[in-house]
Amino acid sequence: MQTDRTSLPLSRRTLLGGLGAAGVALRIGAPGIARAADKLSFGLAMPLTGSQATYGQDQVRATRWAIEAINKAGGVDGRPLEAIILDTQADPQVGIQAVNRLISVDHVPIFVTAWSEVVKAVAPIANDSKTLELSVGANAPAVAKLGEYVYTTFPLADVDVAAVARYAATTLHKKRAAVLFINNETGIGSAQVYRKSFTGAGGTVVGYEAYDPKATDWTGQILKLRGANPDVVHIQGLVADTPQIIAQMRQLGMNQTISSYSAIYNPGLIQKLGAAANGVIATSLAPGASDSPAVKAYVERWVKEVGRQPNGLPYTQYLHDTPYLVADIYKGMLAKKMAMTGANARTEMLAIGTFQLPLTGKLVINPNHTVDKPVYLMEVVNGAWKQIAVVG
Amino acid sequence: MEYLYTIIVMMALYVILASSFDFVIGHGGLISIAHPIFYALGAYASALLAKDLHWPIVLAIPAGAVVAMVASVLVALPALRVSGDYLLIASIGFQLGVIEAIKNLDWTGGAGGLSNIPGVSITQGHGPYVIAVVLIAIATVALLRFVAHSPYGRAISALRDDEPAFIALGRNAMHMKIGIFALGSAIAGLAGGLYAHYFRFLSADQFGIMQSAALLTMVVVGGMRSIWGPVLGAIVLEALPQALTFLNLPPSILGPLQGILFTGLVLIFMFFRPQGLIVAGDVWTGRRNAKEAAHVRRA
Repeated sequence: MQTDRTSLPLSRRTLLGGLGAAGVALRIGAPGIARAADKLSFGLAMPLTGSQATYGQDQVRATRWAIEAINKAGGVDGRPLEAIILDTQADPQVGIQAVNRLISVDHVPIFVTAWSEVVKAVAPIANDSKTLELSVGANAPAVAKLGEYVYTTFPLADVDVAAVARYAATTLHKKRAAVLFINNETGIGSAQVYRKSFTGAGGTVVGYEAYDPKATDWTGQILKLRGANPDVVHIQGLVADTPQIIAQMRQLGMNQTISSYSAIYNPGLIQKLGAAANGVIATSLAPGASDSPAVKAYVERWVKEVGRQPNGLPYTQYLHDTPYLVADIYKGMLAKKMAMTGANARTEMLAIGTFQLPLTGKLVINPNHTVDKPVYLMEVVNGAWKQIAVVG
Repeated sequence: MEYLYTIIVMMALYVILASSFDFVIGHGGLISIAHPIFYALGAYASALLAKDLHWPIVLAIPAGAVVAMVASVLVALPALRVSGDYLLIASIGFQLGVIEAIKNLDWTGGAGGLSNIPGVSITQGHGPYVIAVVLIAIATVALLRFVAHSPYGRAISALRDDEPAFIALGRNAMHMKIGIFALGSAIAGLAGGLYAHYFRFLSADQFGIMQSAALLTMVVVGGMRSIWGPVLGAIVLEALPQALTFLNLPPSILGPLQGILFTGLVLIFMFFRPQGLIVAGDVWTGRRNAKEAAHVRRA
């Protein structure tokens, strides 16, 4: 078989021209990201596109608001704070490229990221380059063991999932629990924490089922759990799929108490489920509007400017507070005339240890790379979230 | 510098993957889109050998390629015995099955991914490793070009274009198909090992159907069955998303743009330039023979 060679083959010159253009394209914008010399920068690698963008974009908006407020109040010792924001798509490979760019092109001493797989994938880069990585939102217990330069400002599953498990066993007197969890980093580690905590509090885990992250039907797992006849079902899923799972459970006749974690604590769950949401217990790792005037004002600002409450309110609170934490670290470094390096940022963060943050309150960063925070247990009562207990 | 290194490494790895994929699907005419799973097998095998059995990286990486090659033979043997299309079905099944297995085994890191893979750290300097990866990419292209233009390559062309005639000449089509599939998969496995020890984190979801679609796009856009086509396709399609991020577009534009980039390019090329950026040469007879034939025809 002969191939038609006359059909516009690319010449070597055209090819080289194209490659040159690609090179130019890579260089375009490079001057645009140059920073003013007096600015203090940190990186923010979050999902701005893709399936998790709804949450990532709200979290970035919260961070931007905080930076505006800090700079309006004079910045960090008169120097403006800025976040260099890059998209991770919640994808480890994209996250690696984003973080490499933040470190080697933008030379940030600190970068903030979220989503367990991304946090885990970029950890070697943070450790090798001695850049401080702050995980804000990933709750997999493994996050605490990712290396010297990886810290979380968000409580890991050991805190809130353990609290909700103990609450079910001791306060609600549930004896038989079933766990339905997403088969990813977030789900696996947290499900293990729930099983250990519930068993430790005297209960028995009678069902333990994983589901695929891409699943759209959970009938098989739900029927298996129904057969185990639990008193309480704990769901460790994502914000997007948990309401669908709960709806399917109710349709299949499972009317047991359902618990989950902070991801589902948002108005969207009630809007999607209606009456089926009543009795669902979730955790919140940040105070709500009824607990703090600052949070109330923050939520009101969302409603006024965006026309709705933020997706995953507590997560946005943590992201909102992160620039304040970074500003405190930079302020300490400037006061001690330390060079703006990741190693110094880490040293200063551990030296400060305790931070007072506007929306999430006191934060203590433990040397074992964990943080302790009170857990707010929330329940849907008559179509609204109501605080039922504060643990820890 | 590290950012540039990462882009260069990814381009070089995609050159290796796209070229080897083109060897299987373009030159060999074997319909399989499961190339990324052999990339995954090479990556996981190399990572686990280095991490758990403390093999030196220079041995673990080729061992990963061998694992990928053996796996490809095991898939191809039963699938090719029936008919070519069965290879597509068997390979997709194999791809999805292996991904699920990786996600559900503790020793592969499970769904959370495999971390703490031994590798070259920034403090040791990534430069030599990057150069090594680029040289391996160049060597891969040179090897595939050599094979495609050798007598064996002409036999591959004959098999692809007319299998009954090829068999009638007394050649063993089955052995040749398995050979093509095994070589392409081994090269993908080699790329996997190189990836694992550079990025030091693996997640099973990285090697799914989306990765297959990306590789297919590189081959189609670059030009199937042309040696330089997949190379150009890999470089352009790896550089383009990076260039987009420097434009600092708002997420409302960037998101859809990234989403339609690959599929849009495939559609554009299907309609306006189905032969890809670089048109395949006449491998079957070789450049010189083609010229001679043309000369004879003119005479």
